[in-house]
Amino acid sequence: MAKNITIFTTNTCGYCHMVKKYLGAKGMTWDEVNLDEQPHRQAEALQLSGAMTVPVTVVTKDDDSQEVIVGYNLAKLAPAVA
Amino acid sequence: MTDVSNPVQAKHDVLIVGAGPAALTAAIYTTREDIETVLYERGVVGGLAAITDMIDNYPGFEDGIEGLKLAESLRKQAERFGAVIELGEVTAIHDEGEYKRLETTDGDKYARAVLIATGSDYKKIGVPGEETYYGRGVHYCATCDGAFYRDKTLVVVGGGNSAIQEAIFLTRFTTHIDLLVRSTIKASDVLQKDLQELVAAGKITVHLNTTTDEIVGKDKFVTSVKATKDGSPAEFTVDGVFVFVGLDPNSIFLKPTPIRLDEIGFVLTDQNLMTSMNGVFAAGDIRSGATMQIASAAGEGATAALKIREYLEGRKHPVQN
Ligand SMILES: Cc1cc2nc3c(=O)[nH]c(=O)nc-3n(C[C@H](O)[C@H](O)[C@H](O)COP(=O)(O)OP(=O)(O)OC[C@H]3O[C@@H](n4cnc5c(N)ncnc54)[C@H](O)[C@@H]3O)c2cc1C
Repeated sequence: MAKNITIFTTNTCGYCHMVKKYLGAKGMTWDEVNLDEQPHRQAEALQLSGAMTVPVTVVTKDDDSQEVIVGYNLAKLAPAVA
Repeated sequence: MTDVSNPVQAKHDVLIVGAGPAALTAAIYTTREDIETVLYERGVVGGLAAITDMIDNYPGFEDGIEGLKLAESLRKQAERFGAVIELGEVTAIHDEGEYKRLETTDGDKYARAVLIATGSDYKKIGVPGEETYYGRGVHYCATCDGAFYRDKTLVVVGGGNSAIQEAIFLTRFTTHIDLLVRSTIKASDVLQKDLQELVAAGKITVHLNTTTDEIVGKDKFVTSVKATKDGSPAEFTVDGVFVFVGLDPNSIFLKPTPIRLDEIGFVLTDQNLMTSMNGVFAAGDIRSGATMQIASAAGEGATAALKIREYLEGRKHPVQN
């Protein structure tokens, strides 16, 4: 189980929308960092993902280990939040 | 009635591959006719329209509409009439007579009629550095990655409608864009007018007859783009590159099937939008001869749905001798 989920997004990003839609359909909640509203947190997203892209989904597990999923990638997202 | 009780081998009336504008419009029509319909989408519901910033030429929206908003409205409208959207990928289609068998990431599915509405994906330029710096300076989706280039400089490669539209969108972040165009600009007059305003404002510099040769980087990030302009070498020092040089049809999964494709890979159809596999139709950008517009994709989706209904009625009520 995921203890905490944070998604880095922007206003115009369709793939961000899909990540939220997927988690919403599973009844999950998340914290959202909108980089259009909080551009100063871009460096954080970049450091976590190694890529200049959104969505970046950070899943913190019960044992506090973290998994970072770059983009809308169901093959990685689904098991990470299962 | 279809048997959807077995999730592994569910049998559907219609299975639509993709959930872009063509697919969602088709689903609005089929479900309103009470034809049970499932869509499979591997990416974003709304397709390329959902990752386009602003759509100014879709009828009915005098001030334009954000792509994501149009996609959401199409989805809600299709779901209102009972369309079911599954998140997953279709990887093969087999003709097994009355039912087609589709291999998907959720196992095999069966459908009486299938609509292929898989659209296309961004084409790569195929130069050194493009793969290496993908996502770290090389991008194909302005609405996804543009925000990382606030107060930075970019190269945009391409000279068609998409390239100009995306370059214009990216100026909301960047200090300057070099637009590298292989020959001349082939975009609508409206877009060219908007481009000229940004050129005059010093936000974009257009380089015609310029081929992109290499994307150069250091410490994991892009630093410059090497090109050939009017036959002479040129180098642009920038923070990133956005590539919009056309689209590749999403038809790889059809190559091993008897469904006929044209020489580029777009699906060939007859006047009823049926492919060379009986009961399998195609609509939207994936169809050979499509005009690559949201309005025409939606129109083709509606046409395909009506042709599918005729096809299914023929199946349900075969002509008696
Ligand atoms: C940058 C850009 C700007 C544009 N601007 C405009 C504009 O202003 N106005 C306009 O009219 N048009 C515009 N277009 C074109 C327009 O987006 C397309 O014509 C339209 O989206 C085509 O719709 P479609 O449903 O045929 O395909 P798509 O929108 O491409 O949708 C196809 C869907 O199928 C999915 N898919 C593919 N293969 C599979 C598979 N095997 N299994 C499951 N799912 C699959 C894809 O993920 C995708 O979501 C633009 C295009 C681009 C790239």
